[in-house]
Amino acid sequence: MSPDLVAHPGPIPAQAGIGLRFQHHQVVLDSRPDVAWMEVHTENYMGGGAPLRYLDAIRRDCPMSLHGVGLSLGSAEGLDPAHLERIRGVAERIEPGLMSEHIAWSVVDGTYLADLLPLPMTEESLAVVCRHVDQVQSHMKRRILVENPSTYLRFRHSTIPEWEFMAAVAERTGCGILCDVNNIYVSAHNHGWDAAAYLAGLPPAAIGEIHLAGHSVRPLPDGGTVRIDDHGSRVIGEVWALYREALARFGPVPTLIEWDTDVPTLDVLLGEADHARALLATAEREVRSADAA
Amino acid sequence: MPTLLETQRAMRASLLDGEDGAVAAMLAEHLGADRLNIYRNTFITGVTKALRLTYPAIHRLVGADFFEGAAGLFIAQHPPRAAYLDHYGAEFPEFLRDFEPAAALPYLADVARLEWAVSRAIHAADTAPLDLSRLAALSPQDRGRVCFVPHPSVALLYADYPVDAIWRGVLDADDAALAGVDLDAGAVRLLVERRDTGVNVSGVDVSRLDEAACCFAAALCDGWSVEEALAAAAGIPADALLAEHLAAGRFFDFRLAPPEPTPSPAAAPEVWP
Repeated sequence: MSPDLVAHPGPIPAQAGIGLRFQHHQVVLDSRPDVAWMEVHTENYMGGGAPLRYLDAIRRDCPMSLHGVGLSLGSAEGLDPAHLERIRGVAERIEPGLMSEHIAWSVVDGTYLADLLPLPMTEESLAVVCRHVDQVQSHMKRRILVENPSTYLRFRHSTIPEWEFMAAVAERTGCGILCDVNNIYVSAHNHGWDAAAYLAGLPPAAIGEIHLAGHSVRPLPDGGTVRIDDHGSRVIGEVWALYREALARFGPVPTLIEWDTDVPTLDVLLGEADHARALLATAEREVRSADAA
Repeated sequence: MPTLLETQRAMRASLLDGEDGAVAAMLAEHLGADRLNIYRNTFITGVTKALRLTYPAIHRLVGADFFEGAAGLFIAQHPPRAAYLDHYGAEFPEFLRDFEPAAALPYLADVARLEWAVSRAIHAADTAPLDLSRLAALSPQDRGRVCFVPHPSVALLYADYPVDAIWRGVLDADDAALAGVDLDAGAVRLLVERRDTGVNVSGVDVSRLDEAACCFAAALCDGWSVEEALAAAAGIPADALLAEHLAAGRFFDFRLAPPEPTPSPAAAPEVWP
């Protein structure tokens, strides 16, 4: 093993990780929790000072993944070269094991709308996203993962089922897919899709990571409900069940617990990661027994 | 069929200007205002939060409701231009200066200017400290031609009110200190900088300078040569001040001015932001 590999624990293992947030910087540094890997939002480490120092220190013995929320892969007007360059700067410093972005958009006419907004699922959107994924991958000189969104709206002019859109982006650009199981559950509820059929529509070989998080349920005036992907609670039982289906289909995949609003103590996050770890171990055993048979 | 750009512009009009008509006509089924509101709330809440993190003292001075109202108007006028919200809100101090409902707090915009400088310092890029042996290696003549590059966290600020005392008192919730603030005490000149001394020690310092020391610091930060800055700083212990700036790491690089002495700029150095 080369000294470089020892100095930089790079690859993200097919185990359970947690999203690292500012609230937990100090306690993670002090307690060095037993967690296989961590992931941060790239945009939170674009300056200097304390955040980067914590990340440098924590990253020294924990594989780290960079998850971007602001690149706006689906913008009709093209990527912001300055933002692409900021991302590259963070990646150079952190040497992440994985890098990911979203199938969404947030910039139009130079205005950043600070949310992961839904794309019309059209051939034009697909071409735009693929062009931008190509651009990112050649700028970063590496493969990225793209995450399926959670959405509350659908466009009348959409012509491609979202899972087919995801598969097509992976096929055309060679990127991987970050399968957010909670997002599938949320969007399936909001749009009346079949979550299992969604999973079945994704190419297993492209799945590079799974996200799990909590969401909330809001009543609508028409008597229905909309599920909101707010990352503010534990993963619900139905999403754990869908995660088991995903593991059965994809095999063991690096799995991240995300929590962004009402961030709990680190123990709560680690407890959620333990649950994922147990399900991953089961999936691992099943793969081995299938190989042996 | 609307193009992607038309779809995105329609969504922008809904989120930013509350004009739902164009995007509503593009939506499947009868999904309408309720679901658009989810996105609008996420946008406004997220950007307001970014503004609150940059301007915590303003938030406390005016209260949550007032702040949210002002932020909503500000965001409509100055929506974010980049997906890097740590650098969002540069125009907020000037917005507050002209914001009629805040007229009773004449120092508010200046406190905001200080908070902007503090925020810039918090998020400024890391730089390696200046290697002082590079200076020592210069001939005495060349040392006079040195033009320093300030650390990206360093800012100098002039304010009509004692905004440093207000800022500190508000963030420390120190009512006694705030009661002692004399709004008529006169202008202050402030030096804002970040000091990185350990993995988890990265604090922003705000200190007062007298007028002469501030002019000298501003000349150096503006790229005047050491010779020019010293010449303009007659009557103060400028050598000692320069040594202090260097020891504090306020410069991270330098270049040499052209050998032929250029005429000194006539105007006094600018104090910014």
